[in-house]
Amino acid sequence: MSKAQLRFWGVRGSYAAPFSSHLGVGGNTSCVEIRAGDHLLICDAGTGIIPLGNELVQQDKIREMLVILTHYHWDHVCGLPFFVPAFVPDWKINFFGPGANPGAIEEHVSAQMKAPYFPVGTETWLAETNYLSPKSDSFQYGPMKINFSNVHHPGITYGYKIEINGKTIIYASDNECMFIEKSIKNRSDEFSEEEHDLFREMIQEEHQSELNLFKDADILIHDAQYTSDDYDKKQGWGHSCYIDTINTAIHANVKELYLFHHDPNYDDASMEAIHKHSNKIIKEKGSSLVCHIAKEGTIIDI
Amino acid sequence: MENLDIDLTVFASAEEAWPYLQSNTPNLLILSIILPVKDGLSLLRELRQLPAHQETPVIIVSSKDYTQDRNVAKELGVLEFIPKPMSMQTITDVVVKYTQANLKSDNN
Repeated sequence: MSKAQLRFWGVRGSYAAPFSSHLGVGGNTSCVEIRAGDHLLICDAGTGIIPLGNELVQQDKIREMLVILTHYHWDHVCGLPFFVPAFVPDWKINFFGPGANPGAIEEHVSAQMKAPYFPVGTETWLAETNYLSPKSDSFQYGPMKINFSNVHHPGITYGYKIEINGKTIIYASDNECMFIEKSIKNRSDEFSEEEHDLFREMIQEEHQSELNLFKDADILIHDAQYTSDDYDKKQGWGHSCYIDTINTAIHANVKELYLFHHDPNYDDASMEAIHKHSNKIIKEKGSSLVCHIAKEGTIIDI
Repeated sequence: MENLDIDLTVFASAEEAWPYLQSNTPNLLILSIILPVKDGLSLLRELRQLPAHQETPVIIVSSKDYTQDRNVAKELGVLEFIPKPMSMQTITDVVVKYTQANLKSDNN
């Protein structure tokens, strides 16, 4: 068993929030590093991957990594054009994300680095690049077993289960949980009693698929972008209200939850209020779930 | 759909459905989007590459109702996108519309 650590490099959703009022939590967009010995796994390539890249080129122990992408929305890939290891020879970067084959993944990764949006393309990367095409929903990277599932977010989006050192970490940066319940509630009047009975089965089915990914996780890093007021205005945008995230985590018997993909409009004081309310909900439910606000720079031993 | 005179074949994943679809062209293919491993729209994209399935009638029935997914479905020639929850009448009407199936009670 090698020593493993997880570090948050970017915790924001939508766009970077480099405002002085936000820096206690952090302003960079999604990027989480998991390092196990010499094996480096990077979850998403938002602006958080830029300072990670700057740190990587200062050391000489690691020269290879696997970058797993949940999807290709800007806040998850916009750090790549400024990721220094990609522009340095003798580095090797393996990529995996949604896409029918390695060529499709390469196309998605490269698409943002094209004129007139960016001056140089991925053909200027000097690092060796490799695009993975696993045969199933599970593959191994060094000591890490990685599994992916389709989740609720516009376009094909993955949630990842990473197993290492006997611990299970779930990275689901963008997922609108309890989507079906909300849809049923919104359209409740349209349906008969008999149909509502069938919908209960439908909800069970949906929960089962979410449970398959989250169940008994030691660490769940999950979308919690909105307060309930903001979620009311932004339902169907593909992100969760933190209250739904907490309820889902409790239901799935998760041990530690890191609320993630914070809305860029929420400053440190707002995030503190969310944390306080989260802990109140957990206490009222008598759950043993431990809830954290994911903050840039936080390191967890695994 | 038990009240319709149709032969219904159900698969739990794209992987399970793929061998069947290699040798069968259904009158109607009902697809969900969130499936284990390969999602429904990716399965459909691959199916459309096969000459036998370029015109296969497809409807989506899914709880994953986002514009981005609806646009992909449209691009792949999906006839109807039915978001869950849906009434039993909605699904029956759509199946009848595209298969010309009869209600069993109509035949009795």
